[in-house]
Amino acid sequence: MLKSIQEWVMVFTIIGLIMLIGNWIGYEVLPLDALPGIIILILISLAGLIIHRLLPFQLPSIAYIGIIGLIITIPGFPGSEQINVWTAKVNLLAIATPILAYAGISVGRSWFDFAKLGWKTIVVGMCVLLGTFLGSAIIAEIVLRIQGII
Amino acid sequence: MAGQALNLWKDWRLHGIVLAIVIVTELIGTHGITVGPGVILLLPMLYAVIIGLILYFTPVVKEKQSKNAETLVFLSVALLIAKFGVQAGPAMPEIIAAGPAFILQEFGNLGTIFLALPLAIFLGIKRESIGMTHSIAREANLALITDKYGLSSAEGRGVMAMYIFGTVFGSIFMGLLSGFLATVTPLHPLSFAMATGIGSGSMAAAALGPLVAAFPEMKETLTAFSGVSNLISSVTGLYMSIFIGLPLTVKLYEVMTKKKNNQKQDSKGV
Repeated sequence: MLKSIQEWVMVFTIIGLIMLIGNWIGYEVLPLDALPGIIILILISLAGLIIHRLLPFQLPSIAYIGIIGLIITIPGFPGSEQINVWTAKVNLLAIATPILAYAGISVGRSWFDFAKLGWKTIVVGMCVLLGTFLGSAIIAEIVLRIQGII
Repeated sequence: MAGQALNLWKDWRLHGIVLAIVIVTELIGTHGITVGPGVILLLPMLYAVIIGLILYFTPVVKEKQSKNAETLVFLSVALLIAKFGVQAGPAMPEIIAAGPAFILQEFGNLGTIFLALPLAIFLGIKRESIGMTHSIAREANLALITDKYGLSSAEGRGVMAMYIFGTVFGSIFMGLLSGFLATVTPLHPLSFAMATGIGSGSMAAAALGPLVAAFPEMKETLTAFSGVSNLISSVTGLYMSIFIGLPLTVKLYEVMTKKKNNQKQDSKGV
């Protein structure tokens, strides 16, 4: 456990630094300005990973990470406004870029399986979006009618 | 997943490559190409995944880097989910005020499973279809599948394929789709406005555009409904997938493929 925490801290520090640099180049936020925000995001992630290890349920660690982030920023939570201000300086897209760089390198290994999906991805993808959109619209229609809004 | 993380931080070769990719892609920046009602958004993260992929096939990346990269995707995604969390907190009072209609409507997002999963299985896609169809595969879902199955699993390949499809074509397709459906179906524009909130800001904006253009007198209401709905989706989407979407997809996949296999065996027997 301790060994894992040590490893996580080291990895998060490196990834955090890469994100700060991306945030600086792409979104013109100076690394020092974004530093408190990235530290908070790292602490939330660490807390989520540790809770995931300690609790016996089979919930993904990201479920805890998301909930912790949400709770500490609900208006009225001590320090929520400051956390907001700090984390707002870390651009969402700056976080996403290194993730996708790691993902590209990782996907390379199963590229031929991945490529086999090919045109089917486009067909299924359209149905994924159609199903989500139409499903939501139909339920919305029913609920709005029951409520007498439309 | 993260349990196997050992000495990953020492893979300087990998971190160096990623840092270089980030610097190059962020320097290129974001560009948009307008197509009909939507925009093809070219984001640094898209170039990043492509460059990473190409580098895998060069001597720069060794097998070890690619293996380590998988766990690093999972750990860096944790930071993204933390960011989603802190963005959601301030919106909670608004969401509670918005009322149950918005939250109930979230169940409609499961529509993808009933429409797209059978099609994917019909097309002969195996366990990849679970990753592809359990949601619209935005970042949070990419994180969920990576956490549960790993990115190099069949499910991981599926969610990655859908993630890339959605990022490149999502907003164009949603723009065309919403304009078309709003004119050919008898559903109320307000219902469609609520449906635009599927958990992706750019897709919601693209879907709202044609609605507002078709019903300009309702512009304010449509925009407000879309905004609140998208907010709720981005907060609840992950948990919807964890507790309902993914288990439902897996169950349905098992039921459907079992049936299919039995049929195959039956026909073989004959």
